[in-house]
Amino acid sequence: MSTRDGIAAATSTEALTTELPAGRSLGWWGMVMFVATEATLFACLIGSYFYLRFQHGGPWPPDGIAKPALLRPLMMTAVLLPSSIPVVWAERGIRRGQRWRLRTGLAATLVLGVTFLVLVATEYAETLREFTMTTNAYGSLFYVITGFHGFHVFVGLTMISWLLVASLRGGSFGAHRHDRVRNVAIYWHFVDVVWAAIVFSLYLTPRLS
Amino acid sequence: MSTHPGPRARLAGGLLLWYAVLGGAIAWAVHLIAGWSVDELTCANGSDRVGVLPLRAAIGLAVVLPALATLGALLAAALLWRRTARTPRGDEPERRVGRSRMLAVVGIWLNILFLTIIVLGGVALLVLPPCQV
Amino acid sequence: MSTTAAPTPGASREDLARLEEGWGERPSLRSWFSTVDHKRIGRRYLVTASLFFVLAGLSALAMRTQLARPESRLLSPQEYNQLFTMHGTAMIFLFATPMLFGFGNFLVPLMIGARDMAFPKLNAFGYWVFLFAGLFMWASLPFGAAPNAGWFAYVPLTDEGNTPGLHMDVYSLGLLFLGIATTAGSINFIVTALKLRAPGMSLNRVPLFVWAIVATAFMVIFALPALNADNALLFLDRRFGTHFFDPAHGGNALLWQHLFWIFGHPDVYIIVMPALGIVSAVLPAFTRRGVVGYALVVFAMASIAIISFGVWVHHMFATGLPQLSYGFFSAASTIITIPSGIQIFAWLATMLLGRLVLKVPLLFVIGFIVTFVLGGFTGTMFALTAFDQQVTDSYFVVAHFHYVLIGGAVFPILAAIYYWLPKITGRMYHEGLGRWAFWLFFTGMHVTFFPMHLYGLFGMPRRVYTYPNEPGWAGWNLVATAGSYVLAIGLLLVLIGVVHAVRRGRPAPPDPWGGDTLEWSTDSPPKPYNFPVLPQVHSLHPTWDETSRTSMTEGATDDRIMADGRRTLATSELDGRRERTVDMPESSLQPLLLALAMLVFFTSMLFGWYPVAIVAGLVVAATIAVWLWPTRRPEQELGVR
Ligand code: HEM
Ligand SMILES: [Cu+2]
Repeated sequence: MSTRDGIAAATSTEALTTELPAGRSLGWWGMVMFVATEATLFACLIGSYFYLRFQHGGPWPPDGIAKPALLRPLMMTAVLLPSSIPVVWAERGIRRGQRWRLRTGLAATLVLGVTFLVLVATEYAETLREFTMTTNAYGSLFYVITGFHGFHVFVGLTMISWLLVASLRGGSFGAHRHDRVRNVAIYWHFVDVVWAAIVFSLYLTPRLS
Repeated sequence: MSTHPGPRARLAGGLLLWYAVLGGAIAWAVHLIAGWSVDELTCANGSDRVGVLPLRAAIGLAVVLPALATLGALLAAALLWRRTARTPRGDEPERRVGRSRMLAVVGIWLNILFLTIIVLGGVALLVLPPCQV
Repeated sequence: MSTTAAPTPGASREDLARLEEGWGERPSLRSWFSTVDHKRIGRRYLVTASLFFVLAGLSALAMRTQLARPESRLLSPQEYNQLFTMHGTAMIFLFATPMLFGFGNFLVPLMIGARDMAFPKLNAFGYWVFLFAGLFMWASLPFGAAPNAGWFAYVPLTDEGNTPGLHMDVYSLGLLFLGIATTAGSINFIVTALKLRAPGMSLNRVPLFVWAIVATAFMVIFALPALNADNALLFLDRRFGTHFFDPAHGGNALLWQHLFWIFGHPDVYIIVMPALGIVSAVLPAFTRRGVVGYALVVFAMASIAIISFGVWVHHMFATGLPQLSYGFFSAASTIITIPSGIQIFAWLATMLLGRLVLKVPLLFVIGFIVTFVLGGFTGTMFALTAFDQQVTDSYFVVAHFHYVLIGGAVFPILAAIYYWLPKITGRMYHEGLGRWAFWLFFTGMHVTFFPMHLYGLFGMPRRVYTYPNEPGWAGWNLVATAGSYVLAIGLLLVLIGVVHAVRRGRPAPPDPWGGDTLEWSTDSPPKPYNFPVLPQVHSLHPTWDETSRTSMTEGATDDRIMADGRRTLATSELDGRRERTVDMPESSLQPLLLALAMLVFFTSMLFGWYPVAIVAGLVVAATIAVWLWPTRRPEQELGVR
């Protein structure tokens, strides 16, 4: 089909009036709206970070605090971002009724997520020696934003453990019932994406300027 | 319109509908955030350049590009409006086309409104020096 | 309660019995705490929000009494600060939005032809949180620990050094707590309106009131996080020594203002939008025709919902940022008046083209238009930066926002009370009493607030507990105080009218006004399952159109009766195509338990009992885990390989 035909087809009445979105479940919409409002919350926090940073002027981080080290956050990213893959794989599995895939996938994500939190803890152990939440606005921003995200990871992990327990019990999920798996997956992907935004704003941009 | 478009054409068409309805709104949001933050931050730094661009030109881009995107959405909405002029027979097609036509009307007016706001922002850029307090 | 039942040849006697068994609730103490019926929850929202309105109104009367004469010493400055802060905060957060959410709760499922909200348990939870958060905030007043730094709580006034004590912690924690209810309610409205519309109700057949609620809910989703973030940061600054707003340590006080008004401007529309939806719902019944320009009104609501996010800086014209930045925002502030104007003209055209039936609800609608237009007029004056800088923080501003808020929210709410009272209680109100209430309220309102424009221009600042006898101040203040008493008597008559209707009113027929939307196609008050037969919708005015109406009687089909258990229909997002039946949850105590655990959490945060807070947090998590725990099903049904 040529491009022209393609455009003609896509702009026909039939195509233009296609119902999109359609067929989503109630729970899906509920979770998507929840994630939307949470994402706005993170946007406000990261926006506050940039606002305070640019209003402050001068070197950033201020007061002689060293620029954030990159190695560990990159490791954390390498752990957290791929952790979405087993969730996707598990979800695809349960849609075909393969319970083993659900269980294995969730367990894998759980391990990755816990690793991430351990890395956060080791990072804090180091940075806390240099500055704390009460040192200055930079410290407040750093700990509140990363801490709030860490809390979200923790909540996500709780959800995943909860799914895992339910799926180990049996009689919970199958090809026709996997709404909850889907919803937790959405939440987990969201937590991942937020981390990417945080790495970019809090760790990378101070090195760019 | 007797052809039955394939799934990719349907997806494209469905997305085009939402571009026709909300394109201007999104473009305006981008314009506002980009224009405001570039202006505010550059002036706070006491500078009048953003990278290689003079500040005015940078803000100008934040006006012109969203304005063009809004114009595109307006055209898409007009197209949708024309494509839904005739109501087909049958309950389901009638609802589908009726709903799309209403969205077309909403889209046309939304895009006109947002185009006006963006253009007014452009006028402000022409008459005001960017860093005057 | 109701004596006249809607004719239901559609559903058989057995169907009705089974529906009653699935949905009915035997009155008991337990069912009072565990109900998930959107109609009961909606009524509770209405009653509770009215209660907070009375408290906030009494605070206002106390202030007006104090301000009647210059140099008056009835209230101490500390008391006055707490009163105006609680008045403003409660009116905005505990009255206006919850009241309108109450109407939304009661009406949205009825208007779209569903049997309940999408998440009935979440709905019940939202109500309890609202109630507890409201009590949490008001409870501080008798202890002299109420919020006291104005409803927008600007730092640095509100930081720990300048306002020690619990006052502002009550504010920040209370609003965070309340935010949970508002967010949950909004998500519920959106999903309900997207997925539970009766088959055939494509987007172009959705009642304007439902559009208004959905637009509002979207605004809440994207606006409230800014307020939540703001309050969380304020609490951290005050309690745990962070420095977000502290310029001495790299923070910035303007951050509070930015975040607050990113929320605050949309919030004005969050309050007014559903009220405008009420107007669009009331008009058809009393003009005997649909609202003119349906698509344009939808456009107006959508554009207001979006643009309202882009005008926040206009509240800060007095703070000094580059002119060009202001220019971008001024453009949006000026243009946003256009869609509001479109709605007003759509209503005026509806009234001109229709046959007016001058009943009390319509009177309040007309009162709304007059008052709101005056408020809008002074509002456009603020869009001129120069004027704004002159009158900022004077009584002119107080006059303006009361015109907007009382015009834009209270008048429509009163119209709604009279209009839907027959549906909600199954009783008719007394027309004459209603007219008296209207005229007293209308007169009182203008006598109270019009003079404030004047003495505002004469230079009287807002938020002063008393004032010297400057030329022109004392006399007009006395007039305003007298007006506020007239206004209060008007409101008292409304209350008497409602009580009278419930006690003595004539039984209401299903459709006393000849309304156009689906709630008038079922009993007054509706049965617990709302509709014996879910309608098949064929037009924008289903109750006025024969085919939609008969779909519930002769045209009934079993797949729209669904008499077994508790079920309703899910349909597609845009076109309302039938998709599947969904099972609705049974009544449950979990929502109450969850809300209580949260109350404990916030209370212990307030008093610094952190171990208790942690325990409460664990109870919250456990309750949610049990709430959502999947029921065990046979492998076949699940589809396991
Ligand atoms: C029922 C009659 C009402 C009366 C007599 C009244 C009276 C007052 C008075 C005397 C003030 C204090 C002015 C000052 O000292 O600066 C005030 C402030 C305020 N009112 Fe009302 N009011 C009424 C209704 C409402 C309603 C319905 C709303 C909102 C829906 C509202 C929202 C506010 C707000 C937000 C403030 C500002 C509080 C602050 O300065 O922080 N009022 N009102
Ligand atoms: Cu505003």
